[in-house]
Amino acid sequence: MQIEQLSVAELVEHIGKGDLSAAQCTEHFLGQIRDKNDDNGAFLAQCDQEAADAAKQIDASIAAGKSLGPLAGLPVAVKDGICTAGVTTTAGSKMLSKFVPPYDATIVSRLKDAGAIVIGKTNMDEFAMGSSNENSAFHPAKNPWNHDHVPGGSSGGSATAVAARMAPVAIGSDTGGSIRQPASFCGITGLKPTYGRVSRYGLIAFASSLDQIGPMTRSAEDCALVMQTLAGHDKKDSTSAPVDVADYMAALNKPLAGLKIGICKQHFEEGLGDEVRAKVNEAIDVLKSLGASTAEIELPYTQYGIAAYYVIAPCEASSNLSRFDGVRYTNRAAAEGLEEMYSKTRAEFFGEEVKKRILLGTHALSSGYYDAYYLKASKVRRMIKNDYDKAFESVDLILGPTVPTTAFKFNQHAADPLAMYLADVYTVAANLSGVPALSIPCGFDSAGLPIGLQLQARRFDEATLLQTAHQYQTQTDWHQRSPQS
Amino acid sequence: MNQTLETTPAQRDAVTDADVTLIVGLEVHVQLDTQSKLFCNCSTAYGADANTQTCPVCTGMPGTLPVINERALELAIKTGLALNCKIANYTKWDRKNYFYPDLPKGYQISQFDKPICGEGHLTISDAKAAFETRDIQIERAHLEEDAGKSIHDETGAKKPSKIDLNRTGTPLLEIVTKPDLRSAEEAKAFLTELKLILTYIDVSDCNMQEGSLRCDGNVNLHINVDGQKIATPIVEVKNLNSFRAAERAIAYEAARQLRVWKKDGLGIADAPKQTRGWDDANQKTTKSREKEDAADYRYFPDPDLIAVETTDQEINAIAATIEYLPAKLRTELMEDYSLEAYDTEVIVSQGIGVVKYYKTVADFLTKSASGLKSPGKTASNWVAQEVLRYLNEQNCEIGDYPVSGGQLGELLGRIAKGDFDQTRGKDVLAQMLENGANLEAAVEKLGIKTVDAGEVEALCQQIIEENQGVIEQIKGGKVQAVGSLIGKAKKLNPNINPNLVKETILKQIGI
Amino acid sequence: MSNLAQNVAKLARIDLPDAKAEAVQENLEKVLNYVQQLEAVELPDDIEPFFGAIESVNAIRVDELQPSYPREEILSNAPDSDGQFYKVPSVFDE
Ligand SMILES: [Mg+2]
Ligand SMILES: [Zn+2]
Repeated sequence: MQIEQLSVAELVEHIGKGDLSAAQCTEHFLGQIRDKNDDNGAFLAQCDQEAADAAKQIDASIAAGKSLGPLAGLPVAVKDGICTAGVTTTAGSKMLSKFVPPYDATIVSRLKDAGAIVIGKTNMDEFAMGSSNENSAFHPAKNPWNHDHVPGGSSGGSATAVAARMAPVAIGSDTGGSIRQPASFCGITGLKPTYGRVSRYGLIAFASSLDQIGPMTRSAEDCALVMQTLAGHDKKDSTSAPVDVADYMAALNKPLAGLKIGICKQHFEEGLGDEVRAKVNEAIDVLKSLGASTAEIELPYTQYGIAAYYVIAPCEASSNLSRFDGVRYTNRAAAEGLEEMYSKTRAEFFGEEVKKRILLGTHALSSGYYDAYYLKASKVRRMIKNDYDKAFESVDLILGPTVPTTAFKFNQHAADPLAMYLADVYTVAANLSGVPALSIPCGFDSAGLPIGLQLQARRFDEATLLQTAHQYQTQTDWHQRSPQS
Repeated sequence: MNQTLETTPAQRDAVTDADVTLIVGLEVHVQLDTQSKLFCNCSTAYGADANTQTCPVCTGMPGTLPVINERALELAIKTGLALNCKIANYTKWDRKNYFYPDLPKGYQISQFDKPICGEGHLTISDAKAAFETRDIQIERAHLEEDAGKSIHDETGAKKPSKIDLNRTGTPLLEIVTKPDLRSAEEAKAFLTELKLILTYIDVSDCNMQEGSLRCDGNVNLHINVDGQKIATPIVEVKNLNSFRAAERAIAYEAARQLRVWKKDGLGIADAPKQTRGWDDANQKTTKSREKEDAADYRYFPDPDLIAVETTDQEINAIAATIEYLPAKLRTELMEDYSLEAYDTEVIVSQGIGVVKYYKTVADFLTKSASGLKSPGKTASNWVAQEVLRYLNEQNCEIGDYPVSGGQLGELLGRIAKGDFDQTRGKDVLAQMLENGANLEAAVEKLGIKTVDAGEVEALCQQIIEENQGVIEQIKGGKVQAVGSLIGKAKKLNPNINPNLVKETILKQIGI
Repeated sequence: MSNLAQNVAKLARIDLPDAKAEAVQENLEKVLNYVQQLEAVELPDDIEPFFGAIESVNAIRVDELQPSYPREEILSNAPDSDGQFYKVPSVFDE
């Protein structure tokens, strides 16, 4: 049995039946990390001892015939921006290089309660600010399909880990595309749930009104299984929705007949790579062959999405990151007095991109600028949300490319940061409006790099996203291909 | 108002006190009496060891999120209602961003543009006219979390400051008045009445030593110069940790501002708002170390919290929990118990416990001694003089007073009936306080026995015989001379009822 | 605009050496120029801002105590503490 190629359902089944012990499974993936991490940098930390202990407990439960959680024995990699009790959680920043949270994020507790085993913490752009993983304060993660290319970001380590078969499942977070864009670049399936669907408690905030945790897996089916555990109201998170969770697994096998898919012209205009366009169009044909129909829709205000995003996210970030002041969390610069301690600590332990966004947000919120920036952007945000509400009156899904291009090379956008920001051009609107969105692989370019397809649905309709993605994956094998490295 | 009016030194010198109006607005932070903090489940109890009442949420650990304490909302609404405020059906939360080591998140969660309580007013007695009232307008009252405590090294050695976050996240209601107060005495009267209301409705213990009630004042002057009004720069005076401090600081600041203005002539448009602190030891305000340019708080809606909606029905239900308000009780005591304003104030200002006690005594007396001319007044005399003196001396609360209202009423009833006189009654009360509250036991212990009618007759007979001189005077029309005979009777028998002695003597000599 | 970077850096408590100020300023201006396109976006007069989060209300909790965290766990990440207090450099640094 080639353990790293097994699906989530297969792994859980084998472990439950006892023909693969949780200890064996865990050790296998920890071995994968040991073998590959030096090359691809997907992980910032490996939880050997904790994982081995947890696996032993699962095996003991199996031996004792106890009832098991739905993910019993499943190894999971967790983005390092999500707090894990007793395990260093850095958010990719030097600021938190030694930070050990005394508590688990709600989703970590939920995963553990379901029997999943945290095997390591994945690399990321510092405080989730970036689209390439080049902003990790420690080392970049590399795209497993070609190490000269970025894996995307900010959940680049999570995407790399899953694509390189170092973990069957990784947890990411998505503020402007941070799950979907790396999923697209690495050829995996990544879901950004509806805002409020998954608890944010324990997710180190970048931009609170946009952040959402989600699963990154190889297939839609794996994604559904994990999502079933992640989703649900959490009383520790006031922004988590008191909305019932659908049966995602049950939804997968429903036929697509009657499904109405919206196509937005803007997603296919200038800036979109030809190869990406071609593959996305092929995917539309596949879905049509399964009984779905398409209709043109308009999302006129989404053209301002990036601009609104680069006001709102830095504003929230500038405030969220104020707590890193050298008083409570691990690192402090040497200084004479308090004020110097603040400014030296924040200058020394924040990376350049993070500082830039803090300055942007501080400026945009400062006296005299609030109305022109934050307020105006939030009004544009309302218009974007209204666009979606209107579109979803006539269609069930919106389909388009996830990213205009395939994975770019390291340093490609060093000279022009705005070009990097445009990597999120198709993804930010889902964060601004709060709708769920998912990326699945739909082909490869001529260089052998994966191409991603984005599906967006009504709020709290993750089921339709997963169903459509799964039906597509019954007809295609893009999601089953593995990189050489 | 002409804010940039240039004045000459001569014009300024000519200004007298009559040309100056003091303008004061207050910001009062009240700690609401919840068990747990505003956004986490840590205790708000005072006095614990440093940093033992903290958790990831209130220490602002990365990833943690706030969840609103329902009770804090209720208490805020209750307070708003007692202050006649409009209660918002929709309220939300904002972040006030600033850096300070005892502010763990780098921002305070507060309310900016949609406070939970809108405009209202509080009625105080007018300092200028006794027993007249004046409404002080309330601008708003909003909920916010408290910061922690910094302990600075004051030796000048620049040693590190120490930070205790136990206090962080404690729910505060910030009550902001309009600049309606016109004197230091009025400011004190406002604070006194506010505290009384807050304790009556039981939303805060208002303990100023423990920081449960804190006050800042915004102070400036409006000066009339040849018919034009000039405003001096506004000064925020911080750290007014007692009512006396508030009164003195405001008075000091008023004098200081006039002095400075006479020297420099600067108006409100010429100088930024300044922050000064009250130095209680030296009885003066001093310029704060805080940097003036740091006050850009970058308020914006807190994305970690969602709005709170309260229906009128819910607000009404909270209103129904307000049982007692001082203003209402003042009217009640004056109308139903026929008390004078002064006596009423003595009782009401002591808090609801004393009011309830008083009413028990007065009600008992009204029922049991219907002959008494003013049972309300009798009860108030005893409560004001005897009970309050005891509480003061023993430094205790009315709940700890050993004699219940009913028992005191019973005692006063016995006096009214003539079983013994006031002086003897006080002995009985002292006995009850000392040796248990049982009235009969106390009476017996003091040896007070009801003297029977025959004994009174005999005793009076003896006194008449031994004091013929006085009797002649009485017969001659000087009836008040009987007083000296009563004194003699009491010496012969301390238990004898003086009224009965008087009646009997007069009857025996035929008057 | 010329002192923007330095003023904002001061407000954000991020030390910005003069040598770097110009480059940072340029970088900020690039983004600010880009987002300035929002200024020209026409909106209906009565449009309410959408600050995100969920469009629901009243996520509140009952006022009850739960045990606080052990002090050593709370202080364990502090760069300087005496086991009771966090310690920070003196505020009197002028
Ligand atoms: Mg305040
Ligand atoms: Zn707490």
